[in-house]
Amino acid sequence: MAPDIGTFDTFPKLLLHHARVRPSRPAIREKDLGIWQTHTWHEFAEEVRALACGLAGAGFRRGEHFALVSDNRPRLYAMMYAVQCLGGIPVPLYQDAVATEMAFPIQNAEIRYAFAEDQEQVDKLLEIMPQCPTLKRIVYDDSRGLRHYRQQELLSYEGMLAKGREALARDPAFLESEIAKGHGSDTAAMLFTSGTTATPKGVALTHHALIDRAKVAAELENLGDADVVLAYLPPAWVGQFIFSLAQPLVTGYCICCPEAPDTVMMDMREIGPTYYFAPPRVLEALLTQVSIRMEDASRLKRWLYRRFMAVAHRAGGAILDGRPVSLADRFFYFFGDLFIYGPLRNVLGMSRVRVAYTAGEAIGPDLFKFYRSIGINLKQLYGSTETSVFVCIQLDGQVKSDTAGPPVPGVELKFTPERELLIRSPGLFKEYYKNPQATSEAKDAEGWFHTGDAGYFDPDGHLKIIDRVKDVGKLADGTLFAPKYLENKLKFFPYIKEAVCFGDGRGTVCAFINMDQDAVSNWAEKRNMPYSGYTDLASRDEVYDLVRDCIERVNRDLAAEPEIAGSQITRFLILHKELDADDGELTRTRKVRRRFIGERFDSLVDALYAGKDAVHVEAQVKYEDGRSGTFSADLKIRDAKTFAPAAAKKAA
Amino acid sequence: MSERPAPGEVVLSVEGVSLSFGGVKALQDVSFDVRSREVRAIIGPNGAGKSSMLNVLNGVYHPQKGKIRFKQKEFADMDSHEAAALGIARTFQNIALFKGMTVLDNIMTGRNLKMRCNIFQQALWIGPAKREELEHRRAVEEIIDFLEIQHIRRTPVGRLPYGLQKRVELGRALAAEPELLLLDEPMAGMNLEEKQDMCRFVLDVNDHFGTTLVLIEHDMGVVMDISDRVVVLDYGRKIADGMPEEIKGNQKVIDAYLGVAH
Amino acid sequence: MNFFLEVVAGGLLAGVMYALVALGFVLIYKASGVFNFAQGSMVFFAALTFVSLTERGWNFWLALAVTLGVMIVLGMLIERIVLRPLINQPPITLLMATIGLTFVLEGLSQLAFGSQPHGLELGIPDVPIEWLSEKWNINISQFDLFAAFVAGLLVVILAVLFQKTRIGRALRAVADDHQAALAVGIPLQHIWTIVWAVAGCVALVAGMMWGVRNGVQYALTFTALKALPVLILGGFVSIAGAIVGGLIIGASEKLAEVYIGPMVGGGIESWFAYVVALLFLLVRPEGLFGEKHIDRV
Repeated sequence: MAPDIGTFDTFPKLLLHHARVRPSRPAIREKDLGIWQTHTWHEFAEEVRALACGLAGAGFRRGEHFALVSDNRPRLYAMMYAVQCLGGIPVPLYQDAVATEMAFPIQNAEIRYAFAEDQEQVDKLLEIMPQCPTLKRIVYDDSRGLRHYRQQELLSYEGMLAKGREALARDPAFLESEIAKGHGSDTAAMLFTSGTTATPKGVALTHHALIDRAKVAAELENLGDADVVLAYLPPAWVGQFIFSLAQPLVTGYCICCPEAPDTVMMDMREIGPTYYFAPPRVLEALLTQVSIRMEDASRLKRWLYRRFMAVAHRAGGAILDGRPVSLADRFFYFFGDLFIYGPLRNVLGMSRVRVAYTAGEAIGPDLFKFYRSIGINLKQLYGSTETSVFVCIQLDGQVKSDTAGPPVPGVELKFTPERELLIRSPGLFKEYYKNPQATSEAKDAEGWFHTGDAGYFDPDGHLKIIDRVKDVGKLADGTLFAPKYLENKLKFFPYIKEAVCFGDGRGTVCAFINMDQDAVSNWAEKRNMPYSGYTDLASRDEVYDLVRDCIERVNRDLAAEPEIAGSQITRFLILHKELDADDGELTRTRKVRRRFIGERFDSLVDALYAGKDAVHVEAQVKYEDGRSGTFSADLKIRDAKTFAPAAAKKAA
Repeated sequence: MSERPAPGEVVLSVEGVSLSFGGVKALQDVSFDVRSREVRAIIGPNGAGKSSMLNVLNGVYHPQKGKIRFKQKEFADMDSHEAAALGIARTFQNIALFKGMTVLDNIMTGRNLKMRCNIFQQALWIGPAKREELEHRRAVEEIIDFLEIQHIRRTPVGRLPYGLQKRVELGRALAAEPELLLLDEPMAGMNLEEKQDMCRFVLDVNDHFGTTLVLIEHDMGVVMDISDRVVVLDYGRKIADGMPEEIKGNQKVIDAYLGVAH
Repeated sequence: MNFFLEVVAGGLLAGVMYALVALGFVLIYKASGVFNFAQGSMVFFAALTFVSLTERGWNFWLALAVTLGVMIVLGMLIERIVLRPLINQPPITLLMATIGLTFVLEGLSQLAFGSQPHGLELGIPDVPIEWLSEKWNINISQFDLFAAFVAGLLVVILAVLFQKTRIGRALRAVADDHQAALAVGIPLQHIWTIVWAVAGCVALVAGMMWGVRNGVQYALTFTALKALPVLILGGFVSIAGAIVGGLIIGASEKLAEVYIGPMVGGGIESWFAYVVALLFLLVRPEGLFGEKHIDRV
């Protein structure tokens, strides 16, 4: 019994709707002082109502922006709803941002009111007060350490709530009319994009956009009020915003706030969420933890783990997708589930997970398959802040490790000739706040949002994103060349740390490889292969063979994708040094600077394309003690096998 | 709990205390006082008698001469159990936690003196005992929250790194809701980051719970930043007493730390 | 197969009886680090007190209550007279003290109640359960089952006492580190008294069970020796270890008696447990549930 989002077209209206239809169901839980405290929909809505009156009493006006800096807490969410009740626009900020990063949004939206979780956040806001003359009220939640603060801007949450309760009792009609004034087309929230290159942009999203997308996705996954979500990612990130505000409002499910950032794993085990989101890096970290524990386990356990993980790898994904599996595998999988996968899911806190999403960056196929093989329905989705998240979602039973699935209902997709993905969806953002130029660049007259992502549909109609449009090039024969896509595929192999692919405007694709020293030296030790150092190891024929094998496997994969089958890697070399941010070869966030590397090592690139077998390098190196010297070596260049598109299909 | 003295009032005074073990004079005629709600440091080079002083305050050692007054009550030969009952808690230089027990249980033991129900009520886990246990649990959870150690609540203490163990020990001492908390080299053996954390917690304890703190420290630097007044001991004698700035410039102190011969 | 099951079941149930005695050892060892050599005589003393009272026509429950009282007082006395003066003495001194205690207790009990063996009857017949033997032809003594139930109950009570109460926490604290316990104001003597009293109660239960099986007689003190391999197997500090150790010893010695015994001419049962314990000592000296001693550098 999903609410009618035509009638209940704003967040506050939906909140009150749930308080009416499921007053005693849990709306939000928080672990506090070691115990899970539950707020029912009724209690929570009452708190929001009182708080809204308190906020109005403090002078907050319709249409104003309100900054919030807090971890996931019931009071943070109550505050957001209270702001929306009065027709205000919550602007959640990243709680781990430094003070100076908070200044821009506050100046940009002329914010007068802010909510801070504790002393740490209050301090940051006080620090930027001089740059942000508009800021005049800071409502704080946790008063610890704030006793001696005498700033008149400070206002306690409790104080505001108490005043609000009185005001609400005096004049309940005021709030009713304020809430009724809200419309679906009003801005519900403003989320700032991180903006790696330029100043951040405030993405204004309407109630209708958020609610509509939340509802469509919830229906797709059959979410209901029995579902449980752990709110553990920053509330300023659009995903968490959707999962902990918009989707509970269309389904009535309960969100749980962990006790502290360090307790997320334990809290997750206790709560047992049914609906889960994790970016690839979190999934990776979890798997690493499992692996470390397995290494410490007894020999028998390790053996069992290896055995049954092999079974899971073979059959787990297929069983989850409902594809045919041999009886023997089914049998072994059953036992594996009993003794390995089940306990493992329990340790991960994923025993009850029905739907799990990952997105944000490319996820390694092995990592992705691991979770699916142990019976966790992990799926990928595509979306961004500007689209209210849900653009494409993989459907149950049709999950692939390298696509984002088909578009969700209501979304139209198309590609420009340059392969840029354009989106038209009810979930599109209203505007970039106070930035009409950026808005018109991103959203054209016909309402298409230009994502800047390049991709295509695979034969099954699933969206496949390969790179940013500005990085995608063409080979001389016009074949699509997506260097980052190739590099990512290479980097998923443990032996390859970085890869740099060249090919734009050239006949073929060639690559520089940076081996992963830890993994390769481990590998070499196991083979009793002596070597004197990084450069020596990197020049070994055995290592070249190892890397070539990786490249050929990538080539085989590529051959199966008609759009980019022509961009297989033909030649490669292993670099004599690690690419380093200090040398300008990587950005500080460890992204390769392809053009810079191409220019710096132009002789190597030329040698790759000139068909030579080896190339001499001489380089200035800086040692760690500050001395510098020259270094010279001959780097080998090797060919890699490529596969014909049709033949590969058969081979695979 | 008895009425707390007003801030700034003298809660503890040490008058002419001397202590010797056999022929070794650990403390000679030491006098100083501690005011309510202040952070009072006792510093000095190794072997200056700091630990002996703390052990006297805690009732572990009984001085041969001199008087100690705590909240206007004089005590000459009080033992540590009684000291605890009077509201004096302490931590140890070598962490004295129960390594095999969880953090939660360790801190709960700190509330031992506050528990009233007898063994039969406890054994049967009936009304008052259960209520009492829950009340204490709540108090302990607040300390856990205060010290930001929620994530290790159920971890056996023996498995924790040193810095966290120190924090747990502080928690256990706090659980007794002491009026006077004695810290025996709280920063010893810590890295810089751990020291900073500990300083923050010490100041927070002082501020939040209004606890009077006496801490002894070998390292001068840390102490100067967080204490209100400092006593300096050297060879069992008090050589200086005053505000940190005064101490820093005191020639005797500098000599003592540099090891100038007497 | 039925026979095998019967042997295993019989062995496991006998193991429960060993575990009952071992429990008393574990309690005291945990709290005070003392191997209480006198546990066997405490079992004997308790059983003898109880049986003598019932023989004098006392009502069962009254006798039980009084004996419990006696055991508690005994525990207190031991703490006051024997342990407190020996505080901070090396473990070997304490062990010697408990050996002395053994003789005192044995002498005392025989002085008070005489030295002739007594039969003990709790109203539960030591006969096979009928429907089990009829249906599957497995003979399991009704009394053994009862003993197992009592042991289980005892373990639950002890577990609740130790895990859920302040006394239990204090006891674990004392077991962990005497000095630290003193520093936080846990009265050591108090805890030791409680532990000895509880150990006395456990001894009573064990004494009653063994008394029914073998009669209340001087030989009961030797049950202590049967507990030794159980403790080696289970570890000296773990209640769970005492139970599991008891079960393993009970089952393995019965199996050995039946299946290996004939090969070597029988009589294996009396010493096989020690062989198991010895083998175990070589592989895992800290016992199944013992705490591995890790030295931190």
